[in-house]
Amino acid sequence: MSLPRLELRRASKTYQSNGQSLRALYDVSFTVEAGSVTALVGRSGCGKTTLLNLAGAMDFPTSGDVLIDGESTSALSESALTALRRNRIGFVFQFFQLLPALTVLENVELPLLLAGAPDSQKAARDRLQWVGLEDKASALPYQLSGGQAQRTAIARALAHSPDILIADEPTGNLDNASGEQVLNLIRESAEKWGAAVLMATHSSEAAAIAQTQIRLRDGRIEETIRA
Amino acid sequence: MKRVLQLFRTLILRPLRRDLLRTSLTVLAVALGVAVVIATSLAGDAATGSFLSSLETLVGRTDLEIVANGGVDEAWIGRLAALPVNARFAPVIETQAGIERAGSVTVYGIDAVARWRDSDGAVISTALARRLGVAKGATVALTLNDAAREFRVVDIVDAKDAEFVLLDIALAQQALNEYGRVDRIEVFAGARQDFAALERAIRATLPAGYELRKPGARSDENQRMVRAFRWNLLVLSYVSLVVGAFLIYNTISVSVVRRRPEIGVLRALGAGRRWILWLFLGEALLFGIAGSAVGVLLGRVLAVGAVGLIGQTVNALYVSSRPAPVALDGADVALAIVSGVSVAFFAALAPALEAMRVAPTEAMGRGAREHQARLHWRRDLAWAAVITLMAAAVSRIQPIDGKPVAGYVATLLAIAAAALAAPAVVIGVSRALGPASRALAGAEGLLAGRGLSAALGRTAVVVGALATAIAMMASVGIMVGSFRETVVVWLDTQLRADLYVRPASRGGGAGQFPALSPEVPGLIAGTPGVEAVDIFHGLEVRYGGVRATLGAGDADIVRRYGRLRFLPGEDRDAALQSLIGQDRIIVSEPFAYKHNVHPGETLTLPLGDRNVALTVAGIYYDYSSERGLIILDRGTLLKYLPQQPVTNLAIYLSPGADAIAVRHAIEERAAGRHILIAPNQALRENAVIVFDRTFAITYALEGVAITVAMLGAANSLLAMVLDRRRELGLLRYLGAAPAQLRRMILLEAGMVGFMANVLGLALGFALSLLLVYVINKQSFGWTIQFHPPAGLLAGALTLVWATTILAGFYPARVASRINPIEVIHEE
Repeated sequence: MSLPRLELRRASKTYQSNGQSLRALYDVSFTVEAGSVTALVGRSGCGKTTLLNLAGAMDFPTSGDVLIDGESTSALSESALTALRRNRIGFVFQFFQLLPALTVLENVELPLLLAGAPDSQKAARDRLQWVGLEDKASALPYQLSGGQAQRTAIARALAHSPDILIADEPTGNLDNASGEQVLNLIRESAEKWGAAVLMATHSSEAAAIAQTQIRLRDGRIEETIRA
Repeated sequence: MKRVLQLFRTLILRPLRRDLLRTSLTVLAVALGVAVVIATSLAGDAATGSFLSSLETLVGRTDLEIVANGGVDEAWIGRLAALPVNARFAPVIETQAGIERAGSVTVYGIDAVARWRDSDGAVISTALARRLGVAKGATVALTLNDAAREFRVVDIVDAKDAEFVLLDIALAQQALNEYGRVDRIEVFAGARQDFAALERAIRATLPAGYELRKPGARSDENQRMVRAFRWNLLVLSYVSLVVGAFLIYNTISVSVVRRRPEIGVLRALGAGRRWILWLFLGEALLFGIAGSAVGVLLGRVLAVGAVGLIGQTVNALYVSSRPAPVALDGADVALAIVSGVSVAFFAALAPALEAMRVAPTEAMGRGAREHQARLHWRRDLAWAAVITLMAAAVSRIQPIDGKPVAGYVATLLAIAAAALAAPAVVIGVSRALGPASRALAGAEGLLAGRGLSAALGRTAVVVGALATAIAMMASVGIMVGSFRETVVVWLDTQLRADLYVRPASRGGGAGQFPALSPEVPGLIAGTPGVEAVDIFHGLEVRYGGVRATLGAGDADIVRRYGRLRFLPGEDRDAALQSLIGQDRIIVSEPFAYKHNVHPGETLTLPLGDRNVALTVAGIYYDYSSERGLIILDRGTLLKYLPQQPVTNLAIYLSPGADAIAVRHAIEERAAGRHILIAPNQALRENAVIVFDRTFAITYALEGVAITVAMLGAANSLLAMVLDRRRELGLLRYLGAAPAQLRRMILLEAGMVGFMANVLGLALGFALSLLLVYVINKQSFGWTIQFHPPAGLLAGALTLVWATTILAGFYPARVASRINPIEVIHEE
């Protein structure tokens, strides 16, 4: 049996603030397989974003482990973590987070450029075509609608064909039609590109595309629903 | 009011405290600007403030003094004493003497009281006694003219900090070999003497060539002489403040852009427009006041160093002066506060007005605002072109009250034009460098170039500030370099003799012409290997209310051996030939410019006891003195001033003669006389050293302007990093390593430096034309050939560029240490 692409094993996270300990996550364990979508649901402040940061190798658990293909992120050096994010992880944010100075194409190309990948422009154009924005390649982010901006962000997140896609409220800032387009792309990224998708969302429509829904409450897993 | 203060505390003071480093950098930039203005003003006062005769500290203030070009005949003391007035007439000789290993000192010959009369007695001031470490009864050795002589200290008198030696007038005349002549007669009115009647009586008696004047006239004359120099220095000192103004503008703009959403909310909650305006003006005033306060203290410290530099120039070019102590008074403090605060206020006005116009609920993102700035760059460039044309037109206006006001206005217009052209330069250079920087530096190259043009408003201000400082450096560098080259070429043509002789006592200051013993020219002329000796008499004269140098040589020798260059269209040989046996003169270019004299005109110069009408035969190029020179044939001079001593000799050797051997032979023949024999080369080298020393203060001022600009660059790069924290955090999410962010910021710093160099060099070139052809010409009357010192400029620009990159190191470190999780979830 192959290892799960992403696994959280009894992961906990505690923050220190003004001498006080704030526990954001308690003993969270679950797995996300390649080619599947897992949705994190729960109220604001329940720990979704903290969990995404652990899963995206942006942060370390205070105790427990985050394993990618069986390897613990806690064991990795700073440069190895950077390489991990650069090569194997893609991020999508609620507020798109496109760089305003770069064109749409350059935004998509950026992770490849940071990694020093060859033929970065061609790969970026392919992704843009996939999200249906090839005609917006030279536009600047402020010239895009919300939906277009988020599709660009998805193209960017998948530019380097990551193994894991972390999406934080990807439809939180979009109207229904745009939200649906984005959800289709996210589903496709798992089905077509084989990514393990972990998505935090408040939206039941978004959660509905997931094979697994994990409900968080006060930093603990309250319920796991498998489709 | 209370509510505004409350808002000021939360919206302005708190962020300033949080950004303590940036706040300190801005305050320091203003402080440096103010300090330079204060230091230049204080040092200028100190370096030129001691024109008053130190004798006055001892004998009290004289009421009137009688002076004459070439000295006053001492017979007039008796004649004046016979006038039916209640007044005392005191003859004075004033000269400089060399003291071994202790520089030079002023020596006064006065009508001493009996107890001082001694065959070799001298009275010295306490300050001099202290410096030389001598007591009453000791001997001091003085070199007067070309003779060394020992004097016995018969008394030590207290005259504050003044250093001088007093000799009885008869002893002074004997020591100087100047019998029958004094430098001036001082008049002390007696009790109840009607002052106007005294003046009338003396004036009626004196011959036409003598001048009766108030004692302050000499000081006024000196102040007038150095006025243009000080005025130019003061204007140059304001450059740092102008650069500081860019930084205040930048800081307040950043403050406004960052707080736009808060301003919008405040407006929505009922805050008036004026509240908002004064919040940001208040922030600028805070920078102005804090910067001025630090600047005053810093300026006081810098002034002590600057006195020496300014004093050197004043001594070399204008008149001998001994620096007075640096004194900071209320007016200086007021000048500092007013300069600092007004610069801060006006620099902040535009961004503060912009803040005032923020609509309620507006929380516009920076992306849209920067887009607006991008749209305006073409319009700004058009304005830059219009203002450049205006500057060119203004530069043609004649000086006002002898000051090149139009030149300065044109300079300011050129700086404004460059500031307006800055956005276009940023866009242009970013576009030009974009593909190359991406190809060479990958993502970092792409991001650096785009980051700068995206934050166009911000980048343009930093580039404008740096470019202004670079331009000042480049333009002054080009001006000084051109001037230097002109002087070197001029020295080459002017100094044609093989050896030059002068008495050893000369302190090196302007206006001092110690005499050679009468037998020296004959001794030298008879030395084997000497072909010709040009005997030169130099003396300080007053003409048109200012001092000038009158020089008399052998016009025929100058014609045959010299290479004086005359202004275009003038016949050198004819002009020099015409001087012989006639009341004709040639004048130097600065003299002609200062007194508006043209060839063929006649000027009246008092010589001895009469006024002599002298016709101008020609105008020649001269860079030795800004005071101006009048040259006549020595035959003509001796006709009017028969006793005038020889002061310098120019020796032309026979073909094939060995200069060193001839020099030794002269030294042997003139043994016992303290003369200095300088070979041609040494004199030239020395002239260039004096030239370089003269401009030391200029370089110091430029150095400060560049430092201020560097502080600004570091400050602005830091602001750019802090403003783009979210973007930098995002890049970490996208897989950027901290080292990549560091490289990106350093690349940005390098690009800012490059853009500033491009703009600064263009502006500097324009300003150098203004300096060479307008400001310098109108201030000093010198024609300077345009010779940009390419090597020096390239070196200086590279250094500035490297320093800009250095200024990016701290911001780069901050960028690489940003916590991506914190910044990405701030929204």
